[in-house]
Amino acid sequence: MKELNCSARFLAIAASTLAIALISGTANAQDDGSRTYWKGRSGTNAMSFQYLNMNLQASDTVQFDPAHFIYPAADVEADIFVLSYARHLTLFDRPSILSANLIGGSVDVLFDTAITPPEFLPPGVVPGPSFSQSASGYADPSVQLDVNLFGTPKLPAIFSYMNYEPTWTLDAAFMLGVPLGQYDADKVANLGLNRFYGRIALPFKYHFGVFSPGYRSTLEVIPSVYIFAENDDFLGQKLKNDAMWQVEAHWTQDFTRHFFGSIDLLYRNGFQSEIDGVNFGSDIEIGDLGFTLNFSVTDNVTIRTSFSSNVFGDSDIDTSMIRLQFVYAWDRAIENLKKLGSE
Amino acid sequence: MRRKNTDTCSMTTRQLFAKDASKVALSLCVFIASSTLLLSTSTAVAQQSERPNFLVIVADDMGYSDLGSFGGEINTPVLDDLAQQGMRYTDFYVAPTCSVTRSMLMSGTDNHLAGLGNMVEMLAPNQVGQPGYEGVLNERVASIAELLRDGGYHTYMAGKWHLGLEPDQIPHARGFERDFTLLTGAADHFDDMWNIEWQMPKVPYTEDGQPVEKLPKDYYSSKNFTDKTIQFIEEGRGDGKPFLAYMAFTAPHGPLQVPDDWLRRYKNQYDEGWDVIRARRIARMQELGIVDEGVSTAERMWFIPRGSQLAPGVRIASGRKMEIYASMVEYMDDQIGRVFDYLKEIGEYDNTVVVFFSDNGAEGADLMQMFAGQRGSMGYLHAGANFAESGHNMLGRKGTFAEYGPAWAQVGAAPFRLYKGHVAEGGTRSPLIVSGPGVQGSGGVNTNAIMHVMDLAPTLLELAGVEHPATFQGRDILPMQGKSWVSTLNGEAQSPRGPDDYLGFELFGSMAIRQGDWKIAWLFDPFGNGEWQLFNLDADPGEQFDLSEKFPEKRTELIALWDEYKEMNGVIIGNRSLLDGYEKRLPTRVFESGNYPPVRGVEKIPHKKMIELINNQ
Repeated sequence: MKELNCSARFLAIAASTLAIALISGTANAQDDGSRTYWKGRSGTNAMSFQYLNMNLQASDTVQFDPAHFIYPAADVEADIFVLSYARHLTLFDRPSILSANLIGGSVDVLFDTAITPPEFLPPGVVPGPSFSQSASGYADPSVQLDVNLFGTPKLPAIFSYMNYEPTWTLDAAFMLGVPLGQYDADKVANLGLNRFYGRIALPFKYHFGVFSPGYRSTLEVIPSVYIFAENDDFLGQKLKNDAMWQVEAHWTQDFTRHFFGSIDLLYRNGFQSEIDGVNFGSDIEIGDLGFTLNFSVTDNVTIRTSFSSNVFGDSDIDTSMIRLQFVYAWDRAIENLKKLGSE
Repeated sequence: MRRKNTDTCSMTTRQLFAKDASKVALSLCVFIASSTLLLSTSTAVAQQSERPNFLVIVADDMGYSDLGSFGGEINTPVLDDLAQQGMRYTDFYVAPTCSVTRSMLMSGTDNHLAGLGNMVEMLAPNQVGQPGYEGVLNERVASIAELLRDGGYHTYMAGKWHLGLEPDQIPHARGFERDFTLLTGAADHFDDMWNIEWQMPKVPYTEDGQPVEKLPKDYYSSKNFTDKTIQFIEEGRGDGKPFLAYMAFTAPHGPLQVPDDWLRRYKNQYDEGWDVIRARRIARMQELGIVDEGVSTAERMWFIPRGSQLAPGVRIASGRKMEIYASMVEYMDDQIGRVFDYLKEIGEYDNTVVVFFSDNGAEGADLMQMFAGQRGSMGYLHAGANFAESGHNMLGRKGTFAEYGPAWAQVGAAPFRLYKGHVAEGGTRSPLIVSGPGVQGSGGVNTNAIMHVMDLAPTLLELAGVEHPATFQGRDILPMQGKSWVSTLNGEAQSPRGPDDYLGFELFGSMAIRQGDWKIAWLFDPFGNGEWQLFNLDADPGEQFDLSEKFPEKRTELIALWDEYKEMNGVIIGNRSLLDGYEKRLPTRVFESGNYPPVRGVEKIPHKKMIELINNQ
């Protein structure tokens, strides 16, 4: 039982960053990512394909608080693919975005059992050699609805978008994750969470400068809270987590008409675990800093790359993430006009 | 006569210098000259309480119908108020382009004599080097500033000159004591001084005759011209002399630019398209008595589609340019208000004759295309480097070069035909407001007076009590052809011109004569038909019906006047013209089938309604 608890503790902490990253389909300081809540013309579609490489290392030099339950020298690496679809539409007479994420990939967990206190080892693992586990397949898919509350008029047509010169905007976004992903109750490493989860966010942005390609600049702040249902088969036990509070922020700046970048910040706090009614560990606190570069290759195709790493918060966890994203966006009306223009 | 004597003596003095005459003779003449000058000055001071100040305000490329007092929807409360105090004149003529008009404003005579037979930028090969085609205000004329300065006036100028770049051609050399001047024809309205012409990438400004190296960071043309006008008047008013202040705004000439906080004053107000706005303007002009009801107005130009035929996005993109233009006009109006407030504050407003007009019709040409439209050219490179930004929300800001094109220009020109550059009414008719001492008006509209920009110099000289001399600074100068408005302004006459007087126009090879209600015009195909056309402007201010066949004698009579005008003014028809080849450059007539799409009222049909109407047919 104790071993099981230890495993639970491991996952509760070491994999939390990764798991949450999977939830949103992005990762680390970018999470949703910069300019995610910018509104397009109603009817605009976007398909996105992301590759993310995420690493998490627990320090092998830090003397851990027994309550913190991170394996020394734990090393988690994940290669994640996220296929997303988003559609801009008008709901409740407000500009909105409906999106869905299909997530897959693989995750490898490695830790050095030679320096791990025996009481923290997963079941069946003996001190000495390194212990590793892998998982691959789909993670839990998610859907999200974002509705603008203030600052953006409905944008049903090209001309309405032409009149759009935002100053500040406030949205409400609701996300639901469905436990359809890979999950093995006997394994430490999983891609699915085996429970429903959701998020409520209030994306806010303030536009500086002229709202024209090449001149746009924004401060974007996205406070949100993740809420998790109970995982009733977490290594044979019941896992509950407190809500996790998160603030994601971006300073975005156009460099040219087709190239922008952002400085990204993400702060997460909460997510305390409770296994079979017993609290384990304390709230996690992670602060990530990163940057994003976004190139519009054509009117339809965008390439985005991001990097982030944690810079404050729990000092015994190092995370880093590299992301490469391709977006293809299209609008039927504009595509039709292009057809006319090409004749 | 006194001025003439002074000039004669002054000339004698120079001759004596040149001949190295005896000191006695020189001293005697200098004494006489000084005495005469003192007498002149003291006379001027004695007259100053009776002599009005002059504030001549010229807008650049503003359309006939833009002002509220001339039917426009643009908010121009200051000029509208001026119109209510004074008089509006509906039949006031200028030249089809700016420098040409300015040469007549300054000289009081025809542009073909004053040096601007053609714009310096557009001289035809056979015009180069010919008298009257110097491209600058030539020495055959004296400027109104020179004459008023010597007549005891302070002379100030702030704004655009466009009458010469050389040291002896600039405002400071042509009679303005104080000046803050853009010497060329157009420039970026902000501080970066970009010129659309690559040959002179930065435009030259002068202040008091000295080059201005750099403009202040917060520079905006209309604001700074106003600041300088107020500054000059303030700094010069200590001696009590009257002043001539010439405010030559560069607004709303392209590039259409206005300070950021003024950019969206008219947001979406022009999305309905040009037909709706134009129809409203004409209706309002009829209410105001600017245009008679029942007369013909110009058709929408054949190559411009109905506004309702445009996709909403295109209408918005086009309307945005008109929004900026309207903001520029309102901004200028606001700045004029600052000058009026200042004059009231110092107690000079009631003693100031204010004249406001536009230098030519609304601008319908594509200057960007004209100067930078050829890929691979230096102009193209220059434009790309400095004002290529064209984002919808960027237009009107620094680094952009927006123009509103022929479709909106014809709105500005309403109810007339064509626009700047053409001798049609849309290019040469300008809204004129005159107010101040000696002007009987109280908001009236004079539709009888046929007036011309070259009348202004003789009018101001008469009001100032200064005679136009036969010689100036030792050289013979041409007499003024303009006719003083004084008797018209004070209500003694309906018009400065009698039935036998006529006005002549020629630019880029297009020609026109107006006499009374009749006009003949020769315009290049496709603007005209390459023949003399005859119009009756009383019934047909839109120049829609060629009456040549119906009244051939009148046509012949006016052609004879043209020949006289041409001979009298040394007109040389260019062997090349800016308007060459337009018949191949303009689009063909826009297709419009009879009653489709269905039109109600003034073509404002919401999309849903349009679908309903189509479905119900």
